[in-house]
Amino acid sequence: MSLLSIEGLRVGFRGANGGVIEAVRGVDFAIAPGEAVGIVGESGSGKSLSMLAVMRLLASPARATGGRVIFDGADLLQVGEARMRAVRGRDIAMVFQDPQSSLNPALTIGRQITDVVRAHQQVSAGQARRIAAEALERVGIRDAARRLDAYPHEFSGGMRQRALIAMAIACQPRLLIADEPTTALDVTVQAQIVDLIAELRRDLGIAVIFISHNLQLVSEIVDRVVVMYGGKVVEDGPVEAIELAPRHPYTRLLRACVPSLVGPVGPLVAIEGAPPRLGRMPAGCPFSPRCPRAVEPCASEMPEMVGEASRRVACWRPQ
Amino acid sequence: MTGPLLSLRNVTKSFPQGGLVDRLLGRETRFVALDDVSLEIARGDVVGIVGESGSGKSTLANLAVGLARPSSGEVLLDGEPLSALMRDHGGPWRRRIQMVFQDSSSALNPRKTIGRCLTETLALRGVPRVERGQEALALLTLVGLGPEMAPRLPHELSGGQRQRVGLARALAMQPDLLIADEPVSSLDVSLQAQVINLLSRLTRELGLTLLFISHDLALVRTLCTRIIVMRKGEIVEQGACLDVLDQPTHPYTKLLIAAVPKGIAGRRSPGQPDAMRAAAATSQTRDEFHGAA
Repeated sequence: MSLLSIEGLRVGFRGANGGVIEAVRGVDFAIAPGEAVGIVGESGSGKSLSMLAVMRLLASPARATGGRVIFDGADLLQVGEARMRAVRGRDIAMVFQDPQSSLNPALTIGRQITDVVRAHQQVSAGQARRIAAEALERVGIRDAARRLDAYPHEFSGGMRQRALIAMAIACQPRLLIADEPTTALDVTVQAQIVDLIAELRRDLGIAVIFISHNLQLVSEIVDRVVVMYGGKVVEDGPVEAIELAPRHPYTRLLRACVPSLVGPVGPLVAIEGAPPRLGRMPAGCPFSPRCPRAVEPCASEMPEMVGEASRRVACWRPQ
Repeated sequence: MTGPLLSLRNVTKSFPQGGLVDRLLGRETRFVALDDVSLEIARGDVVGIVGESGSGKSTLANLAVGLARPSSGEVLLDGEPLSALMRDHGGPWRRRIQMVFQDSSSALNPRKTIGRCLTETLALRGVPRVERGQEALALLTLVGLGPEMAPRLPHELSGGQRQRVGLARALAMQPDLLIADEPVSSLDVSLQAQVINLLSRLTRELGLTLLFISHDLALVRTLCTRIIVMRKGEIVEQGACLDVLDQPTHPYTKLLIAAVPKGIAGRRSPGQPDAMRAAAATSQTRDEFHGAA
């Protein structure tokens, strides 16, 4: 039984002439309780927009234009705002890329966590503070009770991201969506945050959706990978299969263009060209203009996702 | 000339810290961004400078290009002190060191076409007006862009294309030394590879001396012959790139290497975190770790 199931999700921007420019063009995937799924793709692939649509956090002119997001038997795209507010932060929590702009600089860390706790639970101020301190401690911030009174500027970038994760887990959600949570951080801090997310998942049983442009990074902690390109899922499957036997040429190149710290040194494998621009998507496979394996139907007809539920690829000439 | 192209001799750069009140009361403290750094870069060297934010790598670049002056010590270009050369503001020394910046959108004037950006740069080098157009197109070709880019404005280009324009503009001056400060860190991985391959080709074909500043050890390994590892304003380790990365001696270099994502090879079974990372994770902030190291 899936925890969250996304079916045919579409997100579009209202254009100037009343038309709609689609950025997410029919995304399907599901996540089981306690599972960790990585969504990998470049900027503009629609990975963040899809998750913002799930959280109903899209800002105009972007809006969900189709599909369903099933959570607890209800379609989150259809439920009322009051119900959605109860889900957000309590059942599904989200952590964003830039910890600096996700925190209110004028409020203490403790106040910001207790606000979330008291919005979802009938607890006293003292209890909320205890819950907040526990959450901070859980994410590895020492001397948590005292740090509650600190302001965001007193924290380093890595500690701010830890504080945001503490805020996200304070109400014990069933699903944590982390949108490029380490991109703004130094590599050593990035490694710590990835370790922390893996640990929380293991200890608290939280399901995780980890969005990143870095396949190597997500592969360290997820069970399954969903590869997106041009607003569509082009391949998904167990992480081992995606890493060891990718079938879509894009996945294959995405893996190959990142250099390694071992092995011979040579020119990098580059993907020529650039990702398609919004509103100028090819009629067929979005990757076809850059694909070295593209053949006759690729540019004109979008291939269907084929395969079993756990291992799918959308390509006319999979490898 | 046989001596080093660029040398830093005991260079320190510090900035005042604290508010105005502190300064008025004489309680000023200084943040040391670069601490007594000496290094030499020979002609044709392709040097990677790695380290985290606050390690002083960008300060080093700014000093080398003359955007900042050292608090003490000296920067020498071909044996001549940059401080003396800088008295001549638009002097020929400026042409010889060029820089490519991290953020390609703020590095280009949004209201000037790509062609104009290049021809103006060529004018600065003293290229006759009649030759500028032709040479601008040659530069675009050199960095893998077509002539159709010339009439476009920066916002019409992708990030990767803009970064190529930044590179073409730097090359327009026919520099001896090119400094690239995190030139690909804001690009998608598929575009990163394109720019790195381009830099690699240019260093070979033009015999460029390149100072490549990055936090990405794997990119440095691909591109550079030498590596300098910096931490908190000091050089902690340097040497031939492959030697240092394959057999690091300083614990900080080892930590940086351990932090590079390794895909499924880097999967840790529960309860057995990577040893180096665990060491880092037990400290709360970078500063605490560095303090303890």
